[in-house]
Amino acid sequence: MANPAMRLNAPTGKSQAELIYEQFQRSQRQFTLGVAASWGVLLVLLVLVFSGLHLTIGPFTITTIHLDLQFIRDWTPFISQGIWQTIGISLLSILFATLLALLAALGRLSRFPPIYAASTFYISLIRGTPLFLQILFFFLALPQLGIDLPGLWAGVLALSLNYGAYMSEIFRAGILSVSKGQRESAIALGMNYRQMMQRIILPQALRFAIPPTGNEFIAMLKDSALVSVTGFVHEITWRAQKAGQPNFRNLEALIVAAVFYWVLTLIFSAFQGRLENLMARGDR
Amino acid sequence: MQTHRIVYSLAISASLVLAACANATSAPPTQAPATAVVAAPTSAPTAAPAAAGLLDDIQKRGYMLISNDPNYAPQSVLKKDGKRIAGSKCPADAFTTGEMEGFDVDVAAAVSKAIGVEPCFVTPDWSVITAGNWGGKWDISIGSMTITTERQKALNFTTAYYYTPAQIAVTKDSGFTQISDLAGKPVCVGKATTYEDWLTGKLGIPASNIKAQPPANVTEVALDTDQLCAQSIQAGRKDFQAYLTSVTVVDQNIKAGLPVIKLGAPVYVENLAIAVDKAHKLDSTTLVAKLSDAITAMHGDGTLTKLSMTWFGADLTQAP
Repeated sequence: MANPAMRLNAPTGKSQAELIYEQFQRSQRQFTLGVAASWGVLLVLLVLVFSGLHLTIGPFTITTIHLDLQFIRDWTPFISQGIWQTIGISLLSILFATLLALLAALGRLSRFPPIYAASTFYISLIRGTPLFLQILFFFLALPQLGIDLPGLWAGVLALSLNYGAYMSEIFRAGILSVSKGQRESAIALGMNYRQMMQRIILPQALRFAIPPTGNEFIAMLKDSALVSVTGFVHEITWRAQKAGQPNFRNLEALIVAAVFYWVLTLIFSAFQGRLENLMARGDR
Repeated sequence: MQTHRIVYSLAISASLVLAACANATSAPPTQAPATAVVAAPTSAPTAAPAAAGLLDDIQKRGYMLISNDPNYAPQSVLKKDGKRIAGSKCPADAFTTGEMEGFDVDVAAAVSKAIGVEPCFVTPDWSVITAGNWGGKWDISIGSMTITTERQKALNFTTAYYYTPAQIAVTKDSGFTQISDLAGKPVCVGKATTYEDWLTGKLGIPASNIKAQPPANVTEVALDTDQLCAQSIQAGRKDFQAYLTSVTVVDQNIKAGLPVIKLGAPVYVENLAIAVDKAHKLDSTTLVAKLSDAITAMHGDGTLTKLSMTWFGADLTQAP
């Protein structure tokens, strides 16, 4: 006599393990479908809030926000011209920030007091002051020193220094995550500091450091809006303000900008997700 | 040991960079007097006063960088489908007349023509413009700036190119009928504007231009631009029911359908002119004189009156 479970499943001809796996897949599919449906409902609700409709459901009247759709149609192309500026500033800044972060992280791991001090001083100063003030500083104060940076580069400099300070922690954690044995083996093989870092430590550290860098980039896309204060960088937020204010349609213009930022974030989040998978490949 | 060697080399390269920066920064100030000293004896009798001023610099490069805050219709706004003029000499982060429009923009184009150069517009925040110390980032400001004693400390002004009355506007349902009704109430103004100065009793303009004194104990609400005052009311915010701005802006607000009315007569009249940074490293005396001449000529031949009628529907170019 076979065991009862086997007999129960006899008509489908599948094993217990296959059935459990199918059940798992079904529930996984249901979950994904449920999430997608809920996202759809939330999106519809969000659109409804800005629909300008007055809904009366029984005793309740719901008032929604009215938008001037004609204005949005007319000015969306104008605001969209700022997208490349936004992406450009963010890409340049993340590039410089990564280099700075690497240097600052190595500095923080140094046992040589002046280097360690320079690194911690930089991180403390930058993390201790608002990004907005840093951008204004590089735009307004540097010309007095004879360094006349265009608005774009003042913004990139401020964003790079700012993000470099925050990202140095990511790189430091990455370097520390490489086990001590690796370092000792490198030394045992007769490598010098530079060889050890280049060939052994950094390649392994970067695997941990790159995915959070993608995350910082997504944050920077939005922080680049602060660069608009100089007035020389015509990115999304600046254009939205100049479209909205003279025409008394601030809300509409800012919503258009918000949509652009959201879409950009969705696109780069997808990229980041793939990057994360790529970097984690060795661990699976 | 190896670690230290790298660290030292880093430190040395860092100090080299710093030293290079220090050299770069100290270069212009030391060089300028040196050339002046050399130039003076060689060509002493003729070229002494004409030493390369800002006007020469502008004419040499063929374009003038004009700062302007494109937040105000009909003075200056960005065109929604603006196109950069083909073959423009303007730097990439400046706008051409193809991308902006308004009264100030037309005046800028006209004075640029008078000195034979192309107008290019840069758009920093208004409070950055009025503070002076532009660091040579742009040449002049044509943005309906009022001549005040406070601003004259940092900026040089040309002759006024037009005059606007400052007007208080209140919401229709506020019940205010005269300026004294605003005593102890909040009034909204743009940051770093003359409207803010009038409210706080610090407005330095000729006494004959001032028509009324600010209400007693008025509270000031200073937003980034005047337009935000009107927009707060439009958005239904109740932080204040009155704001002070140019009569042209109030007219524009009423035309745009905002629920506001003018409160009483204008409180003062502003003389609006072109401004030049006093701290500019090049001499701007000839530039200011040349621009003033151009404005006087445009007052004389009716150009300014025509532009004013086009953009404001009224002649605001007659002195009060």
